[in-house]
Amino acid sequence: MLQYLFFMLFAICHAAVCAVASVPAKIDFNRDVRPILSNHCWSCHGPDQDAREAGLRLDLRDAALAKTESGVRPIVPGDVTLSALVARIEAHDDQQMPPESFQKRLSAVQREILKRWIVEGAPYAIHWAFVVPQRPPRPVAGQTGWARNEIDEFVLRQLEGTGLTPADEASRETWLRRVTLDLTGLPPTPADRQAFLSNSSPNAYEDVVDHLLESPRHAERLAMHWLDAARYADTNGYNNDELRTLWPWRDWVINAFARNLPYDQFLIEQLAGDLLPDATIGQKVATGFNRNHVLTTEGGIIEEEYRVEYVADRVHTTATVFMGLSLQCARCHDHKYDPFSQREYYQFAAFFNNIPDKVVGYSKGKMAEPLLKLPSPAQQEEQDRLESRRDELSALLETRSVQIGAELLKWEASLTPEQIKAISAASGDASAADATDAEAAESTDRIREILSTVGANRSADQIECLEAWYLEHIDAISKEWQTERAEILELLKKLDDSIPVTMVMAEMSPRRSTHILRRGEYDQPGEEVQAGVPAALSGPSHTSANRLAMARWLTDPQHPLTARVAVNRWWTLLFGAGLVETLEDFGVQGTPPSHPELLDWLATELIRRNWNTREMLKLMVLSATYRQTSDVTPQKLERDPGNRLLARGSRYRLAAETVRDNALAISGLLIDRIGGPSVKPYQPAGLWEDVSVERREKYTPDIGDGLYRRSMYTFWKRTCPPPAMTAFDAPDRETCVIRRARTNTPLQALVLLNDPTYVEAARKFAERVLLQPGSDEEHFQSAFEMALCRSPKLNEIAVLKSVLRAAKKHFSNDSAAAEKLLTTGHSPSTDRIAVTDLAAWTTVTSLILNLDETISKI
Amino acid sequence: MKNPWIEYQDSLNRRRLLQRSTSAISVAAMAGLMARDSVAQNAAADQLTHFAPRARRIVYLFQSGGPSHLELFDYKPGLGRRHGSELPDSIRQGQRLTGMTSGQKSFPVIAPKFNFRRAGQAGTWISELLPHTAKVMDEICLIRSVHTEAINHDPAITFIQTGSQQPGRPSLGAWLSYGLGSEAEDLPAFAVMISHGSGSDANQGLLERLWGSGFLPSSHQGIKLRSSGDAVLYLSDPPGIDRDLRRTMLDGLGKLNEQQLKQSGDPEIVTRIAQYEMAFRMQASVPDLTDLTMESAQTFKRYGDDARKPGTFAANCLLARRMLERGVRCVQLYHRGWDQHGGIPTNIPKQAHDIDQPQAALITDLKQRGMLEDTLVVWAGEFGRSVYGQGGLKVDYGRDHHGRCFSIWLAGGGIRPGIVHGETDDYGYNIVHDPVHIHDLNATILHTLGYDHKRLTFRFQGRDYRLTDVHGDVVSDVLS
Repeated sequence: MLQYLFFMLFAICHAAVCAVASVPAKIDFNRDVRPILSNHCWSCHGPDQDAREAGLRLDLRDAALAKTESGVRPIVPGDVTLSALVARIEAHDDQQMPPESFQKRLSAVQREILKRWIVEGAPYAIHWAFVVPQRPPRPVAGQTGWARNEIDEFVLRQLEGTGLTPADEASRETWLRRVTLDLTGLPPTPADRQAFLSNSSPNAYEDVVDHLLESPRHAERLAMHWLDAARYADTNGYNNDELRTLWPWRDWVINAFARNLPYDQFLIEQLAGDLLPDATIGQKVATGFNRNHVLTTEGGIIEEEYRVEYVADRVHTTATVFMGLSLQCARCHDHKYDPFSQREYYQFAAFFNNIPDKVVGYSKGKMAEPLLKLPSPAQQEEQDRLESRRDELSALLETRSVQIGAELLKWEASLTPEQIKAISAASGDASAADATDAEAAESTDRIREILSTVGANRSADQIECLEAWYLEHIDAISKEWQTERAEILELLKKLDDSIPVTMVMAEMSPRRSTHILRRGEYDQPGEEVQAGVPAALSGPSHTSANRLAMARWLTDPQHPLTARVAVNRWWTLLFGAGLVETLEDFGVQGTPPSHPELLDWLATELIRRNWNTREMLKLMVLSATYRQTSDVTPQKLERDPGNRLLARGSRYRLAAETVRDNALAISGLLIDRIGGPSVKPYQPAGLWEDVSVERREKYTPDIGDGLYRRSMYTFWKRTCPPPAMTAFDAPDRETCVIRRARTNTPLQALVLLNDPTYVEAARKFAERVLLQPGSDEEHFQSAFEMALCRSPKLNEIAVLKSVLRAAKKHFSNDSAAAEKLLTTGHSPSTDRIAVTDLAAWTTVTSLILNLDETISKI
Repeated sequence: MKNPWIEYQDSLNRRRLLQRSTSAISVAAMAGLMARDSVAQNAAADQLTHFAPRARRIVYLFQSGGPSHLELFDYKPGLGRRHGSELPDSIRQGQRLTGMTSGQKSFPVIAPKFNFRRAGQAGTWISELLPHTAKVMDEICLIRSVHTEAINHDPAITFIQTGSQQPGRPSLGAWLSYGLGSEAEDLPAFAVMISHGSGSDANQGLLERLWGSGFLPSSHQGIKLRSSGDAVLYLSDPPGIDRDLRRTMLDGLGKLNEQQLKQSGDPEIVTRIAQYEMAFRMQASVPDLTDLTMESAQTFKRYGDDARKPGTFAANCLLARRMLERGVRCVQLYHRGWDQHGGIPTNIPKQAHDIDQPQAALITDLKQRGMLEDTLVVWAGEFGRSVYGQGGLKVDYGRDHHGRCFSIWLAGGGIRPGIVHGETDDYGYNIVHDPVHIHDLNATILHTLGYDHKRLTFRFQGRDYRLTDVHGDVVSDVLS
């Protein structure tokens, strides 16, 4: 073991030392030159005109070739000695570029690349990501028989000349577990395993994939991943961080994936569903995407300051999620690297600036307009019933009021002076008026006055007042109706309060004007701008400039980014890293694609298949590339430590939610209900009180099903996110995140060893195993099948046996300890297994749940 | 023939692998909790810092809510005779106020209820509310001229702790964890403790983002050390599992993981094995850290009786010292309750009492142990409070937020002791000398710890981000 460890260290250090880039044979501007210019030069000599030094810009060829203010030519194509740029990058005095103070020196290789590029004529090229993807021709396969579809052909082509060849196919069991975790976020069951292993049909793999893609678990899995991107949470964030109701939007996303809604529609409905003709409730709910941002209700805030922040958040999120662009960098000044001006930023922001959203004060409410009520069918039916009865009663009362003339006269005639006095004095037993409050007393005073006025002398007002009073207090029929109506109004109010309300987008009229904000500040408005899209990306123009037009522009097949960004994100879900590794940045500072042609083929294929998400995922998981084993030799690891060339399968830890869902599924605890309000599983006490305003928020874990739902339904409080999720790299959901870090820490070990969730899961897992008849060996077999979708090896059984033996000894010597261990978690323990046996096996199953393999996709 | 494109990719990948997942591999990471990545890469240097650090660790005594500089540190003797008079427009200068007082018709000056005394060799004026702190004034560098643009809690506290008013950036402690890594074998590099003040019912919220890692790997987020339940979340073995059985179980786990490592060759498994061992050690080291029974009676006398009550600022100060001793790089305390919009005469003495003796004790304690010289102590809130009364002239007065000037102090490693830096006007409203912006303060903090704030960067979405955004100047006057 130690030897291996040292080898690993050596291999990695060796790779580090050897990682000295060399100058390629032929310079490619986008690949070789642009990163240097962008990272080292353009901050001061690039697109941002306010930051530009010496009037020099190097991001455009014409400008770089022209004479500068000081009369020199920065770049003379073909001539290094005449190019002033070369002299400056080679200088060691105060002429040196980039200057020492910029802290970004050029390496010898970088200087050489620039010189060679100038020798080769200093050609410029448009950044690859801003050019519409063209369908590349299919490569001619080198290694015949390996490729299963086009993906593999492109992967093989890239491997040519690297000395690397594809890895062996992973075992059927490994592939099944991999694809099930990838497509559903849950492990395969032993029955799934059995069925697949015994299916000798040539379509066996495809059958599995089709089955998984149809599963509601698959829809949940894709939605789970979307929640980070959309910065979904159950609270507002910021100081007060109150409850909000955006889970209807989350459920819309699940439903959209369950319907396999084409990606272009998925995008359009979330960005502009409210503007679609005859928009459905669902399409309106979908626009909650851009209401998921944080929302302040802090006392004393300046509303416009925050309204501007919300618009900025929508721009940031929309550009990052759908285009992989850092458009937010152009908020305060022109973008330093990508060709987006500050003006274009505000033109894009104008699409999101016409929302009648109101910043809400601390005491006023929890969510900001525009809102949408979402009654369930039962609630809707109840509401309709109550409203119709309410209207019926109103009509009856109305009719009654014109019929009572004679009765009123009769009643009045029957009154003795004493009775009239009684009305005023003690509110009158006949009247039942409530004389306790002053208003009622005043009203009865008035009635007495009217009654003592002769009929003919009464004003119309007085007559009306008396009639109303009679109906309310004396007339038995209308009193009954009024009572019923009051009850119904009460019920309606209660019902209304129980109907979920969610935040949606809407347009306001007249349009709110949008201005360039100097330095991005809300109180520094400059020139007014109209809504529009960045020129560098402009495909076909759309006439009306609203969100819907913008969404249609994004989904136009000629858009250079939308399809690429989408397929790259799905690729990452399955392979652990994107073809463009910087999912969030396809701009010039992002990493170039590892397989540019494959990326473009996938992008064009997505469009050719009418944006069919499911078909694209199917293509990927049925590829030979996806089928490779992730086992790696030290040589291969050294050659390609990050597996960028895809000459093996990828092996990495599961996402935070999947780590927990996997354990719940293995233990049989998982409740598979879809959607609805978020739930509260176990969480250590006191965390909310530590941070919440006035320590007033308390976390009370659910009892029952809420403890065992999929983690995507766990209540997400932004100022205090679930600790067992953040320990595994879940972000806080305050801003959009589309690439999570993947860390490996002792805190993760503590969660898996000691969090009641996992202790309980181990107990129920042990029960599941032991309730099947059989020997210890057979039990190890079924435990491994449940957790790892494979049989244990002999040496693994030996280790488990010795742990089981030690645990049995421990618990038979101390049965109280066994009892204690089994009390963790709310689910009851079976009484069909001896306490010491169950406790000992719980130790073993806890070990299995802690295996690196259990929490990894391999 | 070699494919240059592949070669280029390869070199990039190697570099990136090292940047991204050194945590998985490096010796430092196996020995410590934190990912020791990137700075060496970015700085292209063997050392972890940019230059020789004056401080090797930091303890940040954060006073959440905005403590009043006028009652504590910024002596304005002229306010007595101006009490009740309208704040002159020449002082107010029409700058923006919070919505809580912007509607007020009158802005009467309120003189603080409390006296000031001279302390230390320099005779620095300090409030009678801080008698113990007064005794260590010779160790303290008081800055009376810090300022911030933010006027509300959330943006202000997020600004001072992350360098941005809006969410999404790494906290100071996360930057330091990213830079310095961990010195402790079995404790986090960045620890956080929270205490609840006794001087206000209306605590504003804290936010996990204040010690979050933003776009840095989440292993750099602050780890909360709690005073009730497990000191570190999920630290205790479940009931019924004792240490021996846990050891047996972990030995078995280690063996199976090793077998998996042989099969798969994935170096991440090496890290996983090491992290389980670390977790096991933490289960002993954290209780040892929080067990104060071996602390002397003299120590408790020094920190005050509150130090025996878990969760108080005093207990947290003592724990902070114990963590610093054990190699924790960054200890961040939050003391809540300074948001005094009303009731200052009653409440500020309680808040001051909470912190005064323990913070003075911490300085003395560190000094006696020879640790003050390379430990940076920072005391700050997110802003100060307004000279005018909130809701007008009241006996039980309160003050609104005030970001145009406020007082903080520094002590220890690399700091000039016993001085006052910066000066405000007669109203304690505007700065007249040596303004220190939040970015300047953070640049200075990084400087003492060996970092050029312009070079401690992390590439995210194409941009090299830093704690100080594109601003900040080191305040060299406060450096020794």
